[in-house]
Order: sequence, then structure tokens, then C-alpha cells
Amino acid sequence: MARAKLIFISGGVRSGKSAFAESLVRQFEAQRKIYLASGRADDAEMRERIERHRSDRKLDGWHTIEQAKQFERVLPLLKTGDAVLWDCVTTWLANELYEGWDKGEICAEQNGCMEMKWENMQKTLVQILSKIEFMVVVSNEILDDFMRDEQYMKWLGKIHMWLVQEADQAFEMENGIAFKRK
Amino acid sequence: MQIVFGGAFNGKRQFVKQQLKVEEWSWYEGQCPESISERIVIAGFEKWVQLQLQNEVPEENIMQQVKEVSQQAGSSEQIWILTDMNRGIVPIDPVERELRDVIGRIYQHLFAEAQLITRIWYGIPQIIKGADHCENLYKNR
Repeated sequence: MARAKLIFISGGVRSGKSAFAESLVRQFEAQRKIYLASGRADDAEMRERIERHRSDRKLDGWHTIEQAKQFERVLPLLKTGDAVLWDCVTTWLANELYEGWDKGEICAEQNGCMEMKWENMQKTLVQILSKIEFMVVVSNEILDDFMRDEQYMKWLGKIHMWLVQEADQAFEMENGIAFKRK
Repeated sequence: MQIVFGGAFNGKRQFVKQQLKVEEWSWYEGQCPESISERIVIAGFEKWVQLQLQNEVPEENIMQQVKEVSQQAGSSEQIWILTDMNRGIVPIDPVERELRDVIGRIYQHLFAEAQLITRIWYGIPQIIKGADHCENLYKNR
């Protein structure tokens, strides 16, 4: 079977990237619309925000799967014919790269830790794409700012480049306008 | 003179290396060339600017050094790899604010001088100056 169509969208905060991504999934008219959320509710405001988004989408017929890390666990929940929107890469990377900070064993500081996670993630994404019909990946533009965390930025650049390479289409969002780069 | 421009870790050096035979070019990493050879690549230039500011070199002198190199673009082939770092929020640290301002003004000068400017977005090139054969910039890849 052919691999699902993959679309990569990246943009700044409030650039309209999520709305654009959602409209692409809606237009595809798949059997199910799956929203794959990788944000984590660490405080009350965030919990409320996530809950609000979740109920908004439910009214619109979306199924929400929350997966902060270890994406291989998502695979059994997906079905042939699904369209998946993953929002977003930057939160997933932060969750994985800084895993263990509370125990003083940050993944970022261990040799090969993130390498292994990224390898697993690539495998999982390939598996997801061979199972479903359509996938949109949303991410943030943060690499054209001052260097805050070199390791994080380096990984994000590497991941974005891979996604753009694998994608059938790639868009850069600016102020609600989608620029097609691929 | 040409410029390859884009955010950090977007594949700018990789793009340049694919375009040319690296051994035929003098590659300056985080430096401003003092003597100009025939074919030069200047990369990581923002690190050199940062170092000058840390050493309290006045902006006029920094700009002067940049101009000394760029003015010789007629007799030498130059590729400047410039990192876009000015799209985020205004930094709290005054040293970073100064660096941002100085870099912004240097980039404006270099952009005005360059015949060809290519922006790299995660490995994908887009010509933003010098694509005279096609005015519809979004179509020119």
C-alpha cells in the first residue's frame, strides 16, 4: 500500500499554523480526524487550555490522543483511513530531550540518549504513515532567534530538515498566509 | 558576491558545500578575512561580530572591516553565510540587543551589495534577490 501523504507546516507563534493544519485535515475527509497532542498539563492554566481545545475539537468531530513522548504507544490506537494532525514537534522534543530533569538525569546530557529516541521516532513515524491515509505535522519557527539552548536548536533543525525531506508538501506560515516551500 | 541566509541549523553550510568544490575555496569560519583570496566563503560571521563587541571595538570600525572585504567583491568571488537571528523577541540582555542591532545593520549593507541572495529553509533554497528571470519569487525554485 502507498504511504500516507505527509504535510509539514512551520510558523511563528500565532501565525495561524494550527488553523491552516486543521483545515487541511478537514478537507481531506478521512474516516476519522485524529488530533495528536504532545503538550503537557503541568499547571492549572495549561490543563484548562488543553481541556478547552479538546472540547472544541470534539464538537467538530475530532478524536484527541495525548502523547507527550514515546510515540510508539500511539500506533495501536490508529486505524487505516485515519487522518492525523500532530501538534507540535517542539513540545515533543522538549519532553524527550529534558526527560529526567527532576531526577537530575537529563536525556540531553547522556550520550546517545536523544539519538536513540530520534531513531525510534523516525521508525514510528514511518510506521504511522504506512498505516494511515494523511498526516499533517505542525512545528514552530524558533531557529531565527538568539541561541538559547544550542542542543535543543540543533535537534530541532535536524528534525525539521528530515520532516521537510520526507514531506510531500512543506509550508511556512506567516501572519495567516501559507507559503509553499515544497 | 552572494549571500546564503537563514535560521540556525537550517542546512546553510550543507547547501553551499553542495554548490561548489570546497577545496577551491578559502573557508573562513567565525572570522573576518584579513587578506582576500580569489574565492572565499565567510561563515559563522555573527560569532566574529560578537567577539569584536566583547572586545569593545566600536561599530564604525567593525563596519569598516566588513566594507573592506565586501568592496573587493569585484576582484574576488565571495559567499557570505549569514545566520538570521533577529526574528525573536527583543533580548533582555543589553549586550545581546547591541549584537542584534549591529548584525542587522551589517546584514543590510551586505544585502544591498550582494547580487544573489538565497534563503535556506530546512534545506530548501529560495532566491530572494537576483532572480531577475522570474519576478514571481515564490515560483523561482
